[in-house]
Amino acid sequence: MKYLGFILANLGRNKLRTVLTGGAIALAVVLVCLLLTMPDGLDSLLNTIANNTRISVHNKAGVVYSMPYAFTRKVRQVDGVAAAVAMTWFGGAYEEAGRVTFPSFAVEVEHIGAVYPDYPIAAAQLADFQRYRDGAIVGRQLLRKYGWKIGDRVTLRSTVWPVSLDFRIVGEIASDRAPLFWMNREYLDQALTAQGGPGLGIAGVIWVRAGDPNRVNAIMRQIDDLSRNSDAETASETEKSYFANFFGSLQGFVTIILIITGLVALCIVFIAANTASMGVRERAGEIAILKAIGFGRRVIFSILLVEAIALSAAAGGAGVCAAVGLTKALGTFAGWSDTIGPLGNFIVTAPVIVEGIFLSLFVGMLAGVVPSYGAARKSVVESLHEVF
Amino acid sequence: MGAAQTPDTSRPLIVIRKVSRRYVRGVDEVHALENVSLSIPTGHFVAFMGPSGSGKSTLLNLVSGIDRPNDGEVLVAGQLLNELSEDELAQWRARHVGLIFQFFNLIPVLSARDNVALPLLLTHLTKAERLRRADTALRVVGLENRSDHYPRALSGGEQQRVAIARAIVTDPDLIVADEPTGDLDARNAEAILALLRQLKKDFGKTVVMVTHDPRALRFVDDAYHLDKGILLEGEEAERAAAVISMAAGGGPAATGARP
Repeated sequence: MKYLGFILANLGRNKLRTVLTGGAIALAVVLVCLLLTMPDGLDSLLNTIANNTRISVHNKAGVVYSMPYAFTRKVRQVDGVAAAVAMTWFGGAYEEAGRVTFPSFAVEVEHIGAVYPDYPIAAAQLADFQRYRDGAIVGRQLLRKYGWKIGDRVTLRSTVWPVSLDFRIVGEIASDRAPLFWMNREYLDQALTAQGGPGLGIAGVIWVRAGDPNRVNAIMRQIDDLSRNSDAETASETEKSYFANFFGSLQGFVTIILIITGLVALCIVFIAANTASMGVRERAGEIAILKAIGFGRRVIFSILLVEAIALSAAAGGAGVCAAVGLTKALGTFAGWSDTIGPLGNFIVTAPVIVEGIFLSLFVGMLAGVVPSYGAARKSVVESLHEVF
Repeated sequence: MGAAQTPDTSRPLIVIRKVSRRYVRGVDEVHALENVSLSIPTGHFVAFMGPSGSGKSTLLNLVSGIDRPNDGEVLVAGQLLNELSEDELAQWRARHVGLIFQFFNLIPVLSARDNVALPLLLTHLTKAERLRRADTALRVVGLENRSDHYPRALSGGEQQRVAIARAIVTDPDLIVADEPTGDLDARNAEAILALLRQLKKDFGKTVVMVTHDPRALRFVDDAYHLDKGILLEGEEAERAAAVISMAAGGGPAATGARP
């Protein structure tokens, strides 16, 4: 502790350099802390958007392969299933906006509300969805993006089926987290039949709602047993697992980001080490004098190393505080807007704080140890000869 | 700083026996000192003089425990320095030697008081006691009213006084000064030499100084003359002393060399 004043005085020697070095370290720590929130944040996000009673049933070979539509009825008869709805990818392109595509599905209008009771859709709109064969229910995000409103007519050309269909928007999913376009399955079926085709005899995914969340695993087993040894064996999974598979590629992206972050941290180590080396070089004369008046090698090494670690730790603390503040601010704003709502799931937890602090200490130690050792190692006469 | 002391001048503080120091510079071996022997009594103020490369700074480094000889023995305050390791020498210097350099070498980010108190960080003294002793040392060198000033706010002469205060703050047996007047004007140089003389006189300190400054001869008890690593003795030493004395404007030529 008696060296603290001396160490702080040395840190204040070149304030601009100290601030810039500390800033670089703090920024790296902010970056690392934010990225370290991603795995937990994604999990939390999945828990938010996924319902614990909903099950996805799809072809075991993959979601791009279909199942016989008739299998939906069998699923509904499974003990514990409260509701089930067949969904088929329509792949609608909105030509007026430059052939943009968005998630559009043909669904069973009489079952969709029962499977998605947690989706904010007005009962009257669900009734209209059943009433109008060409009705469509659209997510709020899409409505806003394309300036649509309830009652508008929209034409989508399918990129999967050889049809182009006109829709009447009859309802809205009042959430920004569901950019979906649902249409009546019978409407598509009839359009395909009218073209002389076999009609829509398939389902892409069957979404099931279990009556009891504790029975979800048993229901999934029963459903998959039903399709065993058929041409389209199924693989059932929870909604969370289904979305997690979609986020699987994102996890790879996160891994890449974490690797890049590690490299950034390494760069910061080099920058901090270079700064520490410059500081030691500039003070070579003073260090030689300190040695001459009796400061031993261990004391010199410790003072220089503690200087580097103190700067890093202070910068790391600031970085962690900034990361916490940033995520808290995002959490607050998330309550105001559904668009940035998912960002509210990214929270700097206590383990992330500890990791951030340890990273900064590690940076300080690694950056300081080489120049400190180099300065302390030289004999006093060698140090004096170099500078005088 | 202790009160005025009467040094036991019968006992030498420094005994150097047949000391040689060689350096390797590139492929060449430089003989900085060759077979030098001398002894300096306690409480004496002596100067090592000679041209550049004569070995005077090397001899000073050996006396202050900064360097070690290749051959011979260096005994200071009863301690044989040859047998101490680098770290032991550092500890020994912290307790027994006060160092003064030509370019003052104060720490620019510390006030005069903190600069003076710096060597006391190596002791177990409390902060209050460290600062009290630093203030006392600053009072001895006449800078008690400049203790809060940083080196950049002090003149060269004042900075050297702070450096002297730093050298005496641990109350060392030996004060070693390497060209202490080399970077000062004539007035400040005389003042510093007078101050060193006062430390010897009032506090019984043994002061060893390397200098080119012929004025130093008026202040020291003995001057040892070196040339090419050899300690000059007899007529050679007297001739060197006379040359320097003439450069200083006459007066007695001090020489520690034995005729």
